[in-house]
Amino acid sequence: MRIFFDLWWFFKQERMKYGFGIIFLMLSSFLSMIPPYVVGVLVDDIRTRSLTSMTLIRWILFLIIIGIIYYAFGYIWRQLIFGSSIILANQLRNSLYKHFTKLSPNFFQKRRIGDLMAHATNDINAVQNAAGEGILTLIDSITMGGMVIVTMSVLINWKLTLITLLPMPIMVLLTMHYGNLLHQRFGKAQAAFSGLNDKVQENVSGVRVIKAFGEEKAQIQLFRKASRDVVDKNIAVAKVDSLFDPTITFIVAFCYFLALIFGSVFVMQGSMTIGGLTSFTLYLGQLVWPMLAFGFLFNIVERGSASYDRIRRLLAIKPEITDQKGASEDVPSGAITYAIKEYSYPGNQAKVLSDIHITVKQGQTLGIVGKTGAGKTTMLRLLLREFDVIDGQISIGAMPIRSVTLDALRGAIGYVPQDHILFSATIAENIAFAKPDASREAIERVAKLASIHEDILHFKDGYETVVGERGVTLSGGQKQRISIARALLADPEILIFDDSLSAVDARTEVSILHALKHERINKTTLISAHRLSAVEHADQIVVLDEGKIIEHGTHEALIKKNGWYAEMYAHQQLETIVSKGGEKG
Amino acid sequence: MNEEKNTQFSGRGVMKRLLSYLKHFKWKATAAFLALIIATGADVLGPILMKIFIDDYLTPRRFPTEPLVLLGISFIGVYAVSAMFHYIQVISFQKIALNIIQMMRVQVFAKVQHLGLRFFDQTPGGSLVSRITNDTETIKDLYVTVLSTIVNSTIMMIGIFAGMFFLDVRLALICFILMPFLLLLMWAYRMLSSKVYRVTRVKLSQLNAKLNESLQGMAMIQAMRQQKRLRNEFGKINNDHKKALLKSVRLNSLMLRPAVYSVYLIGLIMILGYFGVQSFDSVVKIGVLYAFINYLDRFFDPINQIMQQLTIFQQAMVSAERVFGLLDDKRLAPVQESDANPKVSDGRIEFRDVTFSYDGKTDVLKHISFTANPGETVALVGHTGSGKSSIINLLMRFYPIHHGGIFIDGQPLTAFSDEELRKRIGLVLQDSFMFVGDVNDNIRLSHHEITDEQVQAAAEFVQADRFIKKLPGQYQEPVGERGSTFSSGQRQLLSFARTMALNPKVLVLDEATASVDTETEEAIQTALAKMRKGRTTIAIAHRLSTIQDADQILVLHRGEIVERGKHQELLQKGGLYFTMYQLQHGKGSGKAASVSP
Repeated sequence: MRIFFDLWWFFKQERMKYGFGIIFLMLSSFLSMIPPYVVGVLVDDIRTRSLTSMTLIRWILFLIIIGIIYYAFGYIWRQLIFGSSIILANQLRNSLYKHFTKLSPNFFQKRRIGDLMAHATNDINAVQNAAGEGILTLIDSITMGGMVIVTMSVLINWKLTLITLLPMPIMVLLTMHYGNLLHQRFGKAQAAFSGLNDKVQENVSGVRVIKAFGEEKAQIQLFRKASRDVVDKNIAVAKVDSLFDPTITFIVAFCYFLALIFGSVFVMQGSMTIGGLTSFTLYLGQLVWPMLAFGFLFNIVERGSASYDRIRRLLAIKPEITDQKGASEDVPSGAITYAIKEYSYPGNQAKVLSDIHITVKQGQTLGIVGKTGAGKTTMLRLLLREFDVIDGQISIGAMPIRSVTLDALRGAIGYVPQDHILFSATIAENIAFAKPDASREAIERVAKLASIHEDILHFKDGYETVVGERGVTLSGGQKQRISIARALLADPEILIFDDSLSAVDARTEVSILHALKHERINKTTLISAHRLSAVEHADQIVVLDEGKIIEHGTHEALIKKNGWYAEMYAHQQLETIVSKGGEKG
Repeated sequence: MNEEKNTQFSGRGVMKRLLSYLKHFKWKATAAFLALIIATGADVLGPILMKIFIDDYLTPRRFPTEPLVLLGISFIGVYAVSAMFHYIQVISFQKIALNIIQMMRVQVFAKVQHLGLRFFDQTPGGSLVSRITNDTETIKDLYVTVLSTIVNSTIMMIGIFAGMFFLDVRLALICFILMPFLLLLMWAYRMLSSKVYRVTRVKLSQLNAKLNESLQGMAMIQAMRQQKRLRNEFGKINNDHKKALLKSVRLNSLMLRPAVYSVYLIGLIMILGYFGVQSFDSVVKIGVLYAFINYLDRFFDPINQIMQQLTIFQQAMVSAERVFGLLDDKRLAPVQESDANPKVSDGRIEFRDVTFSYDGKTDVLKHISFTANPGETVALVGHTGSGKSSIINLLMRFYPIHHGGIFIDGQPLTAFSDEELRKRIGLVLQDSFMFVGDVNDNIRLSHHEITDEQVQAAAEFVQADRFIKKLPGQYQEPVGERGSTFSSGQRQLLSFARTMALNPKVLVLDEATASVDTETEEAIQTALAKMRKGRTTIAIAHRLSTIQDADQILVLHRGEIVERGKHQELLQKGGLYFTMYQLQHGKGSGKAASVSP
């Protein structure tokens, strides 16, 4: 029941809805006490043949009115209680989303997206269920159950009530026991199902090996076994699940039996009428639901609690990168200075960068090259404060980047990441991602700069073409160029290209670099690349190896030095020849 | 894109096909049905016994012991029978349903095993997995909950009407008037709910898509400072979803339980009115009245249940359509085309003027001809996309060829049985796929005729036993998902052992580009050299150093063989091969050689 205290803030927030919802729910329960009573009265009148058409019509009209009010009340409390639970889910989902937007990249690296999605769907559903179904079963089992018992004892016969209800606790205990069993077995069935899923996943990813070794039949055999296991576990669930109805039927029948036997005795004694007995059995029928609800309640509450705990734990995680106290909100500007003694990723001993000391003057271009894993991307991500440097600092102008707010820092920087992330939206919307109110002219201008304009015009819907999961599939090069255009649109003082020209051909690369040069006078650009042609014209180039700067200078100087850079340059020239099938140039 | 859309199903066709699975369980279904009828019969009998008690004994206040004890025992007995047979019935139907799903799953899975690689190229893995598991799971819900509820409820309603007719034909007829109302209510609910339900589902999937996308692109959203805007966008979708849900709550509260309760009240009023009017001029049997009210009480439970299942129904039909679509897919893997059953004896491989295209538009191989004599090594070199892998794919009979032919020992590739091909041609792939299991399983796979000794011999042969013996569980060491606990070099050695355990005549190698540590690299090279000895080998080589002793080197460019010959000949020619060689070996050190084009 802790979940109801945990959700107290919400019940307070929606106190009118819950208050009235519960009142109407209780009124509905009360109204449903009336028809069995009317039946009892009429049965007695019919038996004694004292019924007149006037009374009959009066009672029938009364029932009709009860029916209409009950319908209205039933509608109202469902709206209020279930409606509120939907609002709760909505709020929780919004706050989870908001929380996600505040968390640092490290969090998203550690957690699997599938798990995070599960919190936002399954867990929220379970909490929603507790706030809707849970409240309903709680109120219903208490008020309706109580009311039926009180009505039976007060209006008809308390002794008979007591005798008849004797088997009911057995039913409650049994159904609760079934509920527990079911929960366990259901867990096993789910595990078996996810095992089956893994099996299929493995099969689909290993299809080539399976075909090459003629493993198809063996795989079918394994699958048959795995899915047989799922069936067995599900049958185990069914064996418990199917117990509910027969148990309830039998125990209720036994209650009826007791009611009839002892009821007859009371009728014989004259302390009860046959009509009263009829009403009594009808009330008995109405007692089944509150009893069941009581059993359901525990299940709903338990699941809701566990889920709410998970959600709360998630919401309690603090972002690792935050604004310092008194951080400036002015967008920083000026030369970029790296002064890093050493850096390793949080929770990891391995040094990723060490002794990085460079200054990039405003308006200059810095090229960063080196092998995969040399630390190129790390250098760039540190500038964006995706992670914080502890041993050393990076500054823009006179401001260390930690002394300005994240918002201000990112306002100064345009970023084209290695893996180009586009969102499910039109191309125009994707380009205008950082500046949603940009005019079409501005969008087209940057698209031209990024050499993607022509490609876009070739799509059926031009700039309105939807991309992303549901939209058209773009080539890697097209995605890259769209994400370049996106970064250019904001016209930031600092532009970061993290190996962002890898998927475009040499000619396009030249034209993009050329356009950048003209466009970005007095603005700083940082380019990391595998292909050296992307950094050839940079004002300075650093070569990283295992996190250290091993070479530093202009293209000409580095070629002259005849080190890694020069070797790599010659190598890539050969590569170009090979990819052209041996023709030079 | 290329899905066989021509097999459009109508809802009825899908339903018919779904039900056709029942015929495999004719007897079990009949037995379950019988149990259902017995249980329902007992249910219906209960109120009749009560009626007898009320009318024959209670009202006239006559209480002879013996008949009453008998009546009491039969009352308890009837409900005991009902409880027991209901249990049997529900379990049987569930078992049938689960077995049908099992059958369907194995069918779909087996079908997928027989589809060609073309199908796998065109179908995203995730959606395929989802069809085999999730879609069939939805169909399971259809069988387990919807169909069994409908059958159960229908039989119960029929039983109740039978009881009513037995007691009082006229009143039963009057009660029958309720049926059209109920059917109308159900029909209206189905129509309205399917629309509302669809909107809810669409909104939910939009919501999930947005969330998923945001989680994936959070770095970008933060770098571009769009958190607030995205929060608003998400909030908007979240609100739309909320509105759709509220609508469905409204619909449910208007048309489900409260509405059904109203119909119940109408029924109650009808029964009371009928007996009330009757009582004006004759004696009414209170027992009959009691039994009718009792029946009425039970009558509405099935209705409520059926109505609540209607939404699942729609979803299951969509899933069933997808599953059947997959079962009917025509993109099968190439199979043996004659029953000559030739054997691979020497291992002579011949490509004769093979031209091939994956999509039927662009040719990825053009007029490829070459011969690999028994025991020879033919190396394929060329940059990415030159067609090396396609040659291997065709030799493995992963794709059908339409122009030219491939021959093994003079017999066309299409003449061999799958078993012969898979046993005699050993493929070693670049990514060494590992199955969940242990080291033994991963070497032996499903070939039970391979003994433990042979497994170990194969591992020793490729020098994998050195690291296997250092594992805590040795050959029983568990292998996790995708073999992630092993290094890529170790995985390669294991996959070599897997191939060697079959002792193939022909070896097809796709050399790995992934860099491994020097020690493992040495082991790999030694193993490869040993494996090639005495076997015809077709090898894709990324490192030219490993194929200098090849009998023939084919240099591919854009699907054509542009140069061929031995290492030295090709070097002297000074062509593409020469440039590639320079690329890897030129400028002194090999430091840069690991960077692939």
